[in-house]
Amino acid sequence: MDFMRSIFIAATGLRAQSGRMRVIAENIANANSTAANSATDPYRRRVPSFATSFDRDLQATVVSMGRIRTDGSDFTVRNEPGHPAADGQGNVKYPNVNTLIETVDMREAQRSYEANLNVITATRRMIARTIEILRA
Amino acid sequence: MTTPNIAAGAYAAIQRAANGVTPTQKTNQTGGFSQMLQNALGDLTSKGQQMDAKAMAAANGKGDLVDVVTAVAETEVAVETLVSVRDRMIQAYEEIMRMPI
Repeated sequence: MDFMRSIFIAATGLRAQSGRMRVIAENIANANSTAANSATDPYRRRVPSFATSFDRDLQATVVSMGRIRTDGSDFTVRNEPGHPAADGQGNVKYPNVNTLIETVDMREAQRSYEANLNVITATRRMIARTIEILRA
Repeated sequence: MTTPNIAAGAYAAIQRAANGVTPTQKTNQTGGFSQMLQNALGDLTSKGQQMDAKAMAAANGKGDLVDVVTAVAETEVAVETLVSVRDRMIQAYEEIMRMPI
């Protein structure tokens, strides 16, 4: 039934957005993680990607989480001579996570999730209204 | 007392016309509606079992919440449709039973 298919398609959107939320949570949680010493790199920001695929069972185009890649941009360097991970000049490498950018991404994930929830709610309402005809 | 006999004959004729069979052939034939209801119930039972399995997995922290929601929605649609069809059929049957002969 087409109605159930739209619910399942919206569900793949929910799954994709919850996966994205997980990656954003990792980024925000690790925003201040430094490396154990100056020789190693700290946490590198991770960027989720979405892939379109054709679901054979559903006969529809659905979305899924693609590969999670790392952000190659430079680390934030702060001068903190007393820090355990500081190098000879007293510089400490912090992750290339910008909490502000992550917050905006999180809002977008939230909005996309809600949009998919609205699709499910509207579809369910359409089904319920159709079944009501039988009862009348 | 001729009217009831005429009416009964007319009903029998309508039934024959609708089924395309004579009353004697009708006895060893299963009902179309009960067969349909049985199939729908079997389908519903399997859907309900799937839903239960997903709900249990989610309660154990292993399943996905989205899976539970979609399974519940699917079962709900099946149940609502079946219940509505059954109610309509029973209503139609009662109406026929109330018919003065």
